[in-house]
Amino acid sequence: MPTPKEIMEGKPLRSPLHPALVHLPIALFPLSFILDLASWMSPRPELQLVRCAFIAIAVGIASAVVAAIVGLVDYTGIRDDHPAKKTATLHMVLNLVAVGLFATGLGLRYGSLQLERTGALPLLISGIALGLLAYSGYLGGTLVYDDGIGVGRHRRRTPLPEKTIERARAGNTPVVIGTVPLLAEGETARVDVAGTVVAITRSKDQLCAFQEFCTHRCGPLSEGKVENGQVICPWHGSRFSTATGKVTQGPAKVDLRTFPIEEREGKVWLQAEARSSASPGA
Amino acid sequence: MIAEQKNHSRHILSGTPEFPVWPKHRVKLFDFLQGKWLGHPLHPAVVHVPLALWLMAAVFDVFIFFKIGVPVLTRLSFYCVMGGLVGAFASVPTGVADWAPIKKEKPAWRLGLYHMMLNLVAIFIWAANFGLRLNALDKQSGVTGPILATSLLGAGLLLVSGYIGSLMVFDQGVGIGRLSKKKWRAIAERAGSRLPEEK
Repeated sequence: MPTPKEIMEGKPLRSPLHPALVHLPIALFPLSFILDLASWMSPRPELQLVRCAFIAIAVGIASAVVAAIVGLVDYTGIRDDHPAKKTATLHMVLNLVAVGLFATGLGLRYGSLQLERTGALPLLISGIALGLLAYSGYLGGTLVYDDGIGVGRHRRRTPLPEKTIERARAGNTPVVIGTVPLLAEGETARVDVAGTVVAITRSKDQLCAFQEFCTHRCGPLSEGKVENGQVICPWHGSRFSTATGKVTQGPAKVDLRTFPIEEREGKVWLQAEARSSASPGA
Repeated sequence: MIAEQKNHSRHILSGTPEFPVWPKHRVKLFDFLQGKWLGHPLHPAVVHVPLALWLMAAVFDVFIFFKIGVPVLTRLSFYCVMGGLVGAFASVPTGVADWAPIKKEKPAWRLGLYHMMLNLVAIFIWAANFGLRLNALDKQSGVTGPILATSLLGAGLLLVSGYIGSLMVFDQGVGIGRLSKKKWRAIAERAGSRLPEEK
């Protein structure tokens, strides 16, 4: 049975809920603004433009509140050191401000619904809020399409890494990245050893370490699903052997770098070689 | 990498194994429709309008038909259907531009085909709905049975096709990382990941 959090993440649907719900506010707020403008151009009472704009805003706010709740669940799922986290924070703040402005406008409109045209102040507020919403919506688009937030997430039942484990390099020797047992079967960690970023997983009861970024479009393998000794890239479904890094299914064509990892004396040791020693195609 | 993407789209569109050279304005049109100027795909941004407005129109129609709520909803529903039609005209070319470069052997290609066919049917239904509505507005007959039926049918089709669209993005990864290849490549290179040679 999926947990409430998994339901809010849209995992049973194989698609997140926030991007589906935001259709309503994103379309209804601009509609209300167009109706407002129409009420100035053609202030005829039989067109009922002012009342229609009012209802469009009210429904927009109601749907925005629902979208915000599932959006917050998606937001907390983004790793703190992910470059998209800042974008997501701005996206959230702008949306809260925009919806707050629309709510203020709604309050101002309430007393004058019998008028033929929308008041100047509510119209101005709507214009500002719409500008914020447009930019914030654009940011939301980049979160999905540029940074792949929420993409392929439904395939994972294990939690995503919450932060990157960072270690400085001590020469070209293994570093301790944690204590045994570091991960359960199918779980992953993301480790940064002096700039070299490594995804770690336990697959078929063996700890495996390989490069974090998929060789196809650089999708985050530490957020991929691990099954049958393979890791599946969350973005386009490329599969790699967790033990050898070899491609087992495209679209990726190039094998992953792998890194020596071992459990010794109750600790987990990872040897991430210096970046310069990485020979492409080796 | 960008050059490779362009070649790729041309090749898939033409259906031939070699890369025929397209006239420049045609490539530019596809770039525009795919949202390269914007920084993320255009189609998913545009479809907010028809999807949400038509779904709301169907909801309002149910209210009107069963005489729940305020009479002004008849007007609002009319505006929603009209706005949805405008949005749909922008959604079709942008959607085709996103679908065309998908390789035919991928599951996303078939999903895209279903998505497109359902949407085209939905557009016709909503266009018919709008015609009925114009007529009803003249006669002040509100939401009639045929209007409600076409609304519900149109909304149902949209829910299914919209869901297929979301699977294309969130399950199949269509459009993901297409315009951010350079950014992520630079990050991955700094992080010591092996990558294919840049073409």
